[in-house]
Amino acid sequence: MALQGVEQTILRDPALFDPNRHPPPLRHRPHEQPPKPASTLAESRERLALIRGVNLRNNAHAVLSKESFEMRKTYLVSAYQSGAFLKNPDQRGQPPANPMTDPAGMEAMMGMMKGNMMMMIPQTLIMSWINAFFSGFVILKLPFPLTIRFKSMLQSGVMTRDLDVRWVSSLSWYFLNLFGLQSVFGFILGSDNAANHMAQQMSSMNPAAGINPFQPGQDPDKLYQSEAENLEVMEHFCILDGVPERVLRHYADHKSY
Amino acid sequence: MTQNTSYAQFENGPGLIATFHHAQKAPIILRRQPHTEKGLSSSLGDNLPEPENYGELEQLMFSCLQSGDDKSALLCIEQLSSRFGVFDAKVAGLRGLFEEATAESEPSLEECLQKYDLAISENPVNLPILKRRIALLNSLSRPMEAISNLNKLLEAVPTDAEAWCELAYLYRSQGMSPQAVYCLEEALLIVPYAWNIHALLGETLFSSALLSDLNESCQLLERSIRYFCRSVELCTDYLRGFYGLLMATSLLGEKRLQNHSKDHLSPQRSSSWTSTNFTLDELTLFARKRLDDIVRHRSSHYQLWKGDQGDLIAAKELLRGIDSS
Repeated sequence: MALQGVEQTILRDPALFDPNRHPPPLRHRPHEQPPKPASTLAESRERLALIRGVNLRNNAHAVLSKESFEMRKTYLVSAYQSGAFLKNPDQRGQPPANPMTDPAGMEAMMGMMKGNMMMMIPQTLIMSWINAFFSGFVILKLPFPLTIRFKSMLQSGVMTRDLDVRWVSSLSWYFLNLFGLQSVFGFILGSDNAANHMAQQMSSMNPAAGINPFQPGQDPDKLYQSEAENLEVMEHFCILDGVPERVLRHYADHKSY
Repeated sequence: MTQNTSYAQFENGPGLIATFHHAQKAPIILRRQPHTEKGLSSSLGDNLPEPENYGELEQLMFSCLQSGDDKSALLCIEQLSSRFGVFDAKVAGLRGLFEEATAESEPSLEECLQKYDLAISENPVNLPILKRRIALLNSLSRPMEAISNLNKLLEAVPTDAEAWCELAYLYRSQGMSPQAVYCLEEALLIVPYAWNIHALLGETLFSSALLSDLNESCQLLERSIRYFCRSVELCTDYLRGFYGLLMATSLLGEKRLQNHSKDHLSPQRSSSWTSTNFTLDELTLFARKRLDDIVRHRSSHYQLWKGDQGDLIAAKELLRGIDSS
């Protein structure tokens, strides 16, 4: 039984406290995959035409007079709706073929299954390896006391009934980090942080050529249609209206330039 | 293309003198570069190469080419290609630029063109090479071909503000102002806070106002004044913007007077703000005063504005001309 009021200590190798022996902290540097650059001009057009619409929507009020805006709006809306920017306009509107019916789809499915199995088997192996490797020793001591209920959470892999709950076993620590930190990262760093694996492919923009607004599997035509709708409901106003008066007033207020 | 000249300009001011000064630093910069490479290999990871170093090399190359130091320029390219590989699109573009600049006769330029064609047939979205090809077409005095090629490029890459600006230059050189205006507007949609492009748009509108009839030119001038105003709103001591504002407002004032005396009888078609001459006069005065201030300030700080003397002299001339009239 643990003695009440006496702090429990474990005999540790003094070498553990030698700061020179600690491995340098690993830099978190996820290797980023920039989106695959377009391989033909038509593909590049398909990607960037959407950004053009977004630019128009965001910046038109800062630049364009009413006529120029209406002209661009009409052009872009009709081009989006007619699919003029699509890479292959002939395939427009056709749903992606049902993978169950045609043999090529079947093969693709099998490929996917194989891929999944390829993922599953190493996962199982890694899990059992971690279980064997990480179990059986404690890795840190919490600076605050906890009730006995936390024992199962913090000391999995260490079958010691007497050990103070403040000692955390390595297996518990591993799982706590694995499952607990994802949302913490999301909270602190924002939803598109580098530690978030989902967001990895969106980061690192290569100017112009590398940008791809489409997620894999997304139908560009649908995005075009919705962008056309966005543009259609846009009201025009322009900050260039009344800019002379604004400039005069602004400089009258700040004579000290 | 614009990018080739603009990089050096942003750093050093537009003057050729500044470019020469920069090019004279070539031995120092070139000697420094290999050290960082060594530093990288000795302590892995800690001493990452500064991306600015390579930007600096690129700029140095432009300066060297402009001032005729071809050897240093070639050294710059070699260092860049040892880092990024010979087949990197941008490095290939720079090498192409170098070959064009050092080509001595028309046939060798044609040879460059064929090389570009070959590179493009291998990779149709090799943007640096595509752009070089367009620039080369223009310098071979085939501007219409350059324009149509650039249009094709922009269809595929409509988010490249630099390319839109270049197309605007090409159109302007062919006297096609409305098209140039369209291109500049497109560029502004991508970089809406670029005061230099606002001023450039104002200038384009101004120059097309000079060539059109009275009514239309009044409208164009009004538009141009708005863009100049926006430009100086974004940058409070932008000499070029104030220069344009002064030119445009005084010209519009004159046109107004002409218009007024001409169609005394018919009612004026009123347009937005400028139906009041009051604001216009105020704007002219304001632009003149600001320009005066800027010129005085910059003349007293010669060292700071050494690179911008051309602008300054032009502004002084304009002010003198207005004072004397």
